Amino acid sequence: MPEQSLLTDDVRALIGSETPAGAVQVTPRAWRHAVEVYTGRVPTETPANGEPVSGYAIAALETENGGTSRIPDLMPNSLLIANQWEFERPLRMGETLTASSRIVDITERFGGRFGYSIDFRTESVYRDATGAVVARSGITMTQYDVREAERAARRAEDAG
Amino acid sequence: MVIRYCALQWTFPVFFYDPEAARAMGMPGTIIPGPLKVGLLYRAVDEWLGGAGWVRQVRAAHRRPDPTNDPIDIAGRVARVYEEDGKRRADLELAIINQEGQPSVRGFAVVEFH
Repeated sequence: MPEQSLLTDDVRALIGSETPAGAVQVTPRAWRHAVEVYTGRVPTETPANGEPVSGYAIAALETENGGTSRIPDLMPNSLLIANQWEFERPLRMGETLTASSRIVDITERFGGRFGYSIDFRTESVYRDATGAVVARSGITMTQYDVREAERAARRAEDAG
Repeated sequence: MVIRYCALQWTFPVFFYDPEAARAMGMPGTIIPGPLKVGLLYRAVDEWLGGAGWVRQVRAAHRRPDPTNDPIDIAGRVARVYEEDGKRRADLELAIINQEGQPSVRGFAVVEFH
């Protein structure tokens, strides 16, 4: 465990920081790739422009958007501990959305399965041409030190 | 499926494909990416709906790593059916169950019926 909190003022100042908005598009190629990944099937038909598509496409939008907000490496290891997709309406084939990402929160934890760890919660928001939110994707990454996590696990085992 | 996912996201963390690197990071070996698992929950709910509605939200809290090539089961139950904004919706509680019968992921979804 570090001798003092790693959540310095500089780190806390990252909360709320947002990436510049960029355009992303629900393309047939991106949709097909996402469907292949998540269903293991090659789609035989592609929805026409304007038709609703399965939410898997948001994974392709995340890539097109350049991923989530950049977070600093404060600890040697990192792992995803939670994530979510939310839709205000189904995505539509061919539509162009504006995407931006931000760091929603940064918290630290003392103890637990990872020992001392820092959680970064980030969110990407996708808006249509009117500015209405269409979808959100969020992730929570934890940063930790695997050696300390192993010590924490041994302590938990010893405690019964 | 894992490699296809990495290509989709264009991200290639070593613990998804290098067993020794994964073990060095305290994992049991290469593991299924978490974002892939939220998509598998989405798929399970979407297939359960069978065209009767659409998935508004799916969330996953990752409790344990799932080694690649280990079979997993997805379980779910309808927790609540309700009217909201003039629409009929349902909350679902979900879980990914590993080969030891333990939940590796606790999930939640909201669906809206047509």
